[in-house]
Amino acid sequence: MARLFEYQGKTLLKNSGIPVPTGDVADTPARAKEIAAKIGKPVVIKGQVWVGGRGKAGAIKPADTPDEAEKAATAILGMSVKGFPVRRLLVEEKLDVDREFYAGIIPDSSRFTRGPVLIFSTEGGMDIEDVTEDKILRTKIDYVKGLPVYDGIDIAARAGISNELLNKTAEILSAMIEVFKKNDCTTLEINPLILTKDGQLLAGDCRMSVDENASFRHPELKVDIPREFPREPTDFDILGWWVEETDFRGSGFVMTMGNDKSGKGRIGFHAIGGGAAMIGIDALSRVSLQAANFADTSGNPVASKIYRVAKVILSQKDIEGYLLAGFMVANQEQWHHAHALVKVLREELPKRPGFPCVLLLAGNKEAESLQILREGIKDLPGRVEVYGREYVDDSDFIGKRMLALVEEYRKEKETRGEK
Amino acid sequence: MDFKERSIKVNIDITKCPECNTKACVEACKLFDRSILQLKDGIPSVSHLSQEEVVKRGTECLACEYACWKRGRQAITIDIPIKGLDKYLKGIPLTGGH
Repeated sequence: MARLFEYQGKTLLKNSGIPVPTGDVADTPARAKEIAAKIGKPVVIKGQVWVGGRGKAGAIKPADTPDEAEKAATAILGMSVKGFPVRRLLVEEKLDVDREFYAGIIPDSSRFTRGPVLIFSTEGGMDIEDVTEDKILRTKIDYVKGLPVYDGIDIAARAGISNELLNKTAEILSAMIEVFKKNDCTTLEINPLILTKDGQLLAGDCRMSVDENASFRHPELKVDIPREFPREPTDFDILGWWVEETDFRGSGFVMTMGNDKSGKGRIGFHAIGGGAAMIGIDALSRVSLQAANFADTSGNPVASKIYRVAKVILSQKDIEGYLLAGFMVANQEQWHHAHALVKVLREELPKRPGFPCVLLLAGNKEAESLQILREGIKDLPGRVEVYGREYVDDSDFIGKRMLALVEEYRKEKETRGEK
Repeated sequence: MDFKERSIKVNIDITKCPECNTKACVEACKLFDRSILQLKDGIPSVSHLSQEEVVKRGTECLACEYACWKRGRQAITIDIPIKGLDKYLKGIPLTGGH
């Protein structure tokens, strides 16, 4: 499920004939002012983030004049909503709201449906989960046939929509199904669907996500990472995705742990397998260190891919060490990890003398792999310790060794007058 | 001499190879990869394969570079491009999709 921003969703709605408020996207206060001036009436400035609760967080502000729009944009741009930075704004006309409805389409995989379901309610503007069941209408949609307008009229009439609005509502519902199909959506929600006091029906908001497996069919959507993502990807996430995308032999998953964090005790983290990753992160946490990133090279990846993952991990600024957390006796030939890591460390350690590395590697061809590692790094100017299967179940020891090397490294840097 | 695998490029300075007694790269290729490197007139070569076969067989194991560095004449270097890394290191935004 790859999410789209409100402004992207609204563009797709507009292109399919669903009315949306007049507006445009801004990434600077000056541009917000310009858009507001062009609209020529009171506007609303809406921060574009993937999380809900924008209004409560102050990321949606009204502005009566272009100057006010600029001021509001200055306040919203760069602010954080639930930890996620606002980088773009949607500046659009302020609507004179009479009523708010809800319209959404989600797939229902139950055996009774196995297709999209249209949900409609006259109680819009709030979470649909908070609306009482008697106010919600659900209709199974035939994916091939879509929703003919006459069926849309029936839905709107059953929901209690007044006669003069039946056609408009039905046309929007019908068009929504087409948008859903055309863009391989997994969710399409217009909440609220606004009825203005002058009788217009417009999409007040739009939440849309598309099937990540179909995103290759939609280059126009410009999805940075076609993968289920809880938030907007960071540059580091994109860099990690490009490694995975280069080569699908084995897993080479790299991403940030959360938002851009900084501070002492961040360790470049490289696990082999998801379970090993959990143990490794625990091992670091117990000694007050933290994984700067998440990474996993399992499923027998090729050495070039492991190399790329390790290089990306070590590209993070302000990390104080590197941990290869192979907390498992892996069913993959570990000499590919050994060859890759020797190449990476031989390139990277001369640039950062004394840099702490703890390498725990166990599994097939372990003895040969450890020999390659030990032989390959023995003349390097780092603090590199190599461990095998005897420490796979001793995460306390590995964590403590990482901490000990980091503390030595800090002291050494202090002596050299570095931060 | 150089050849490309799926996502890497292997460069061999074959002027150093006649002096090499171990031919460790060829042995490594046999052990860790699929013998895409073989000796031809005493020099490692992939000429027994088509370019397509090299790409198909090669597993990008990086073992030849290590073996040559450790036991040979340091004649092999492998280029592994990482899309976006230079930009990231310079702080140039990679997001551009939205």
